[in-house]
Amino acid sequence: MAGMSGKRLQKELAKIQGVLPPGITLVSAPDLQTWHMDLRILDNPLYPPHDHYRLKFSFSKNYPIEAPEVVFLRLTTDPRRDIPIHPHIYSNGIICLDLLDAQGWSPVHNVESICISIQSMLASNTKDERPPGDAEFVRSNRARPRDINFLYHDPSV
Amino acid sequence: MASYAAEQLKEKGNVAFRNGEYLEAEDFYSQAIHRYSRNSLIFTNRANVRLKLQRYDGVVDDSLKSIEIQGQGGQNHKAFYFLGMPCDILSGLRRLSIALCRHAQAQLSLNHPNEALSSALTAYNQVLHPQPAAKISPKDLETFSAFVLKCKKQKFASRERERLRRRGDLCAELEVTLDSQRQRDQSEITLQLQRGDVGNIAASERAAEIRSAFDHKVAELHTIFAAADPANHKAREIPDHIIDTITFEPMHDPVMTKTGHSYERATIYEHLKRSPTDPLTREPLTIDELRPNFGLKAACEEFWDSGASEWIIDW
Repeated sequence: MAGMSGKRLQKELAKIQGVLPPGITLVSAPDLQTWHMDLRILDNPLYPPHDHYRLKFSFSKNYPIEAPEVVFLRLTTDPRRDIPIHPHIYSNGIICLDLLDAQGWSPVHNVESICISIQSMLASNTKDERPPGDAEFVRSNRARPRDINFLYHDPSV
Repeated sequence: MASYAAEQLKEKGNVAFRNGEYLEAEDFYSQAIHRYSRNSLIFTNRANVRLKLQRYDGVVDDSLKSIEIQGQGGQNHKAFYFLGMPCDILSGLRRLSIALCRHAQAQLSLNHPNEALSSALTAYNQVLHPQPAAKISPKDLETFSAFVLKCKKQKFASRERERLRRRGDLCAELEVTLDSQRQRDQSEITLQLQRGDVGNIAASERAAEIRSAFDHKVAELHTIFAAADPANHKAREIPDHIIDTITFEPMHDPVMTKTGHSYERATIYEHLKRSPTDPLTREPLTIDELRPNFGLKAACEEFWDSGASEWIIDW
C-alpha cells in the first residue's frame, strides 16, 4: 500500500477548489505532494492587506497521520511577497507553530485548518520582529523543520 | 489412467488417516497429487492431514489449490473452512492472512466480489484478533482494512452494474411491447378504413392519435427509468457521519473514543502508535480505551447496501 495520503489529498484538493475562507487561496498543487497556498492578512497594519505570503506544503506518504511540512517561500521577484515578519517565523520561512510539530499535530487537521491557524497567528501579532537568534538559526540550520526542537518559550504570541 | 491410480492412492491415504497414521496419509496424498494434480478432493484431504500434523503453511497452500481447481462457482466449503478456521495457527497466521488476501485479489479479478469480500474480512479479523505469539506487523491491519474497503466497493459496483443491465433490458422490453400494441391498433384502423367503417379523415386522425399516445408513453417510460436511476440524479453524497475524519474514506469498522468521536479502527490505531492522544481533544488515549461503535457500524452497512452509486466515482 502506498500510504493513505493519496486519497485523502485528492479529496482535500477537490474540497479546497471550492470555497475557501477570505484571504486564503490555492496557487498550485502540481503533484499532490507539494501544494502552494497564498495567504493575505486582512486586518493587521503590520501586514498590508494586498501583500501575499506564499506557503509551501510538503506531504509525506503518511499524511495525515504525520504532519505536513509547511514553510513560507520568499518570492524574490516581488517584494510584497516576502516572508512575513513575526516572532515565530524565521527569515528563511520556517514556522514555529505547535500544530506543525510531531507532538502538536493531529490527523484531524487539514490544509485549510493549517492555513487558518497561520493566518490568525499573523493577524493577532503585534510585534514587528523576528524570533530571537534568527540570524544565527538561518545561518546554521540544516535540519528539516520537523526535526527541529523549537522551544515554545513564548506562548503569548 | 493417472486419475485412477491417484484415486487408489487417495483411498490408501484415507485409510491411513482414519487409522491416525498422518505421516503415511500425507505421503499417500502427495503421491496421488504427483500422479494426477487436477483432483481438488485430494488437496482438501491433504490440507486436513496437514492440519493434524500442524503444518499450517501446507494447509493454506492446499486449500487455495483446491479452491483454484474447482474454479468459478465451486462449492468448496471444506477448503474455505480450513482457510477461515479461527485456528491456533501461530506462525502461519500472517501468511494465512496474506494468502487470504491473495485469494481475495484473485476473486476480485475474476469479478467475484462476494467471495473476495468474505476472504478479505476473514483476513482482517485474523490480524485484528491475533493469537499472542502471532507475528503481525502493525502495518497489516491498515493494509487489510484498506483491502476490505476495496472489496466492498467492488461488490457495490458489480451489483450496480447488474442492476443497470437488468433494468436496461426491462426498459427495452417494455418499449417493444408498447410498439407492438401501437402496430396492432394501427392495422386495426387500416382494416376499418378498408371495410369502409371509417372515413379517410377520421382514420388519419385516429392514426395520429395512436402515434402521439405511443410517443407519449415511451417518453414517460424513459422519464420513469431515468428517475429511478441515481446516476442521472445529482451526485449523492456520502453522509458525513460514516466518513472517517482522518482518511476521508467511508468506514467499515468504526471505533469510538472517550469523547464520542468515531474513527476507522485501522486509522486511529495508526495515529495512536505515533501519538497516544485523542485527535480532537489531545487528551491521552490508548487503544484499550477505544470501543467498537456498533450503531454506527450498522449505519455504515446500511449505506453500503443502499443504492448510492455516485460515490464510486468520487471516492
